[in-house]
Amino acid sequence: MKEKVIVALALCRQFEIDDVIVEAVKNLDLTVEEGEFISIHGPSGAGKTTLLNLIGALDKPTSGKIVVFNHDLGTYDENFLATFRLAYIGFVFQSYNLISTLTAVENIAFVVELAGWSKERIKQRSETLLKLVGLQHRANHFPAQLSGGERQRVAFARALANDPPLLLADEPTGNLDTETGLEIVSILEKIKEEGKTVIVATHDEKLLKLASRSLFLKDGRLTDR
Amino acid sequence: MSEISFPIKDLTRRKTQTALTILGLTISTAATVFLIIFGSNLGFEITFLARGGRLTSGFSNIFFQFILIVSILNILTGPIITSFLVHLTMSGRMRDIGVMKASGCLSGSIFAYFITELSLLVFFSSLTGIIFGVAAYYFSTIFFNVSGFYISQTLDLGVIMVVCIILIIFSHIFGALPIRKAAKAKPTEAMSPIYKLGTTAALGKKIPSKLGLTFKVAFRNLLRRKSATSQAIICLTVVLTLTTVTIAGGMIANQTTTSYVERAIGRNIVLVGHPTLTDRYVNLLSRFFEDKEMQQIDYLNSEFVISESLVSKLANIQGIHEVDPRLVLENYVREVPGVILDPVEQTEAIVIGDSRSYEALILGVEPENVINDWLIFGRKLEENDQGCTMIGDSLAVNMFDDAFNQSIKVFDESLLPYAIVGVCVDPLNNGKVVYMPLETLYKDLDQHGYNLLFLQIDASENPQVLAQIENEVSEENLNVIELDQILDKHVNFLNNIWSLVMFLPFFSLATAAISLLSYLMLSISGQQHEFGIMRALGAKPRTIMKIVFSQALIIILVSGAIGISVGLLITFGFLIPAPVISQSTLISVSAWLLVILGLLCASSLYPALKAVKKTVVDAISAV
Repeated sequence: MKEKVIVALALCRQFEIDDVIVEAVKNLDLTVEEGEFISIHGPSGAGKTTLLNLIGALDKPTSGKIVVFNHDLGTYDENFLATFRLAYIGFVFQSYNLISTLTAVENIAFVVELAGWSKERIKQRSETLLKLVGLQHRANHFPAQLSGGERQRVAFARALANDPPLLLADEPTGNLDTETGLEIVSILEKIKEEGKTVIVATHDEKLLKLASRSLFLKDGRLTDR
Repeated sequence: MSEISFPIKDLTRRKTQTALTILGLTISTAATVFLIIFGSNLGFEITFLARGGRLTSGFSNIFFQFILIVSILNILTGPIITSFLVHLTMSGRMRDIGVMKASGCLSGSIFAYFITELSLLVFFSSLTGIIFGVAAYYFSTIFFNVSGFYISQTLDLGVIMVVCIILIIFSHIFGALPIRKAAKAKPTEAMSPIYKLGTTAALGKKIPSKLGLTFKVAFRNLLRRKSATSQAIICLTVVLTLTTVTIAGGMIANQTTTSYVERAIGRNIVLVGHPTLTDRYVNLLSRFFEDKEMQQIDYLNSEFVISESLVSKLANIQGIHEVDPRLVLENYVREVPGVILDPVEQTEAIVIGDSRSYEALILGVEPENVINDWLIFGRKLEENDQGCTMIGDSLAVNMFDDAFNQSIKVFDESLLPYAIVGVCVDPLNNGKVVYMPLETLYKDLDQHGYNLLFLQIDASENPQVLAQIENEVSEENLNVIELDQILDKHVNFLNNIWSLVMFLPFFSLATAAISLLSYLMLSISGQQHEFGIMRALGAKPRTIMKIVFSQALIIILVSGAIGISVGLLITFGFLIPAPVISQSTLISVSAWLLVILGLLCASSLYPALKAVKKTVVDAISAV
């Protein structure tokens, strides 16, 4: 039996905006096993990003429980959560979110530098990942000098840098044209083949087809459509 | 709603930025106002209307130069801070300007709107600056008066107004520059999230890549905001120059002036003479720090004469190193014009000087026995000198055009004038003194004898020696006074003045901290999104704080290196003539400067903490 890597129980996340309480995630239960490729889809504002933030230890639940790799994330302080994210989570954002003052290769190296790798190992890892996403020739370019597709490929390489067991991708093809989107799908296929646990929030049909399990989120709740 | 109410509302909406700008300008105005009133009331004018006063010209000159340079730097700091803070404000307002322009607002109207805001800030800060400056002055006079040194509380409103007008004009000129630049920006440019009034990314540079991760990110971020970074460095450099001049200049000037006084009066000196004359002499010495009305006395009264036999007896007491007998009197002295070669034509002779006269203290001394060690320009009187004088600094400055090329008449107009061989810095009678060989004085006065006796005694045997002196003089009804007490009063007075001046670095430090904080706040608001990304990738809050701290450190080190070097150059170059610098002073100056840099670094912890206060999700969402 495969290990349960994510267990969410009665998970809730509320926001207070101008004295109005907005429930982004409502009483959600979820279990994800090791090596699963899960897609989450649903309308805008359904709570997909909030759910990924909770799983990725970027945010804490208002109530309920979220246990990832046996860590109850609601109980830890920011320092521990930072270490947790570094060790367990690879995050890919819709708007790439590369660090603008670092080059492509430096963006990838950033994560493993934080992890305290040696210079030689960092260099090797960065080169391997750049090769994986086909961007060896753009290594020393700054994000502003890269196209949208190239930026997203760098973002994937960065997310994989520390070899995290869980990859979270929030609308990774949302800002890309069809052709560039296909490049991202092919990268995700490679990652799937490696057996990593992947959760993708997406509207992209190709990515939905790639998933071993698809979840539909509406008004903060997982439903059957 | 009136037109002015919009800018007022806008200023109150941006409380932190407005408060920092007002605080920076207020401190700068207050420091300048304080310094100028303090200087004018102590007699070291910087209005160019008058020179000299209570202190001697030599001392006044040191204070004059110090206050002048520090005031100029203060006046310069105000507008530079204004320009910097306005630049930062405008950087944060570019999007609003873009929206205003896109809605059809003309550049002129935008300029007028923000200039109105600037005027409100400048006028309000000037007013509060005057209030704080005057209050600081009143508190310092209370401190002086309680310490026993009377300082006038009168205010020269004219000077205060001139200083404020200069500050207001310069603040408007310097502040208008970034406003003009911002108002001229194209709407598309202004609305771009990456355009921040010259802070747009300069991504071509990726040096230095071999530094540590945090330092590399910090360095690149500073380069990215090149314009704001260089403005921050200029601003901090000026403030640190001012701080260095105030600290190093203040400490060295304190030590130098104290040394001048100690050398002029001497340590372990005992004054012996008729009570009327010893009291008179002490009062003449005290003119340095308090002005006292004195009645005319006849110095040559036979009652005041000290016998030769007493001098011999005292000289034989063990523990007395030197005996310096003098004949002292007050008289009018007159300047005698001199003839020099025309400095322009070189072939023609010109007459310099006039026939100005002053009341001075004349001291007939035996040159070989003189116990004082004044700072002297020219030379001391020597054993076989005849018809020569050494005059005090105030007399040289106030009565002569060029003392060394002129001469002085002391008594009878029919007598030959005396040559001036030296000018000494002497607190006695405010530097209005004439020293001449006793033999010359006897000849011209046609009178012999001493009326005051100066004894240099062994400090280790002080009580026994004093007892013996008192024993010897008791029969002749003479007074014995230890001049160390008077000397200590002089030194205390100088220390008090410089202690007050030493408050100024705290004004500068506050200004520097405000500039740095403002820059870092802007810098952090621009980097919040990327800090969020870094944290999402696994960077701990400590790493983000290190990045912010490294940015502050780079700015502080660069500004410190330039500002402190320039400040020391000004201090050692031309602030103090013949400076006296001990090793302990150098250590104190270095320690103070390190403390200032340390406090500045510590002040950057607030923005560093602010940078990690937001949640990761909020930080990523920041634009």
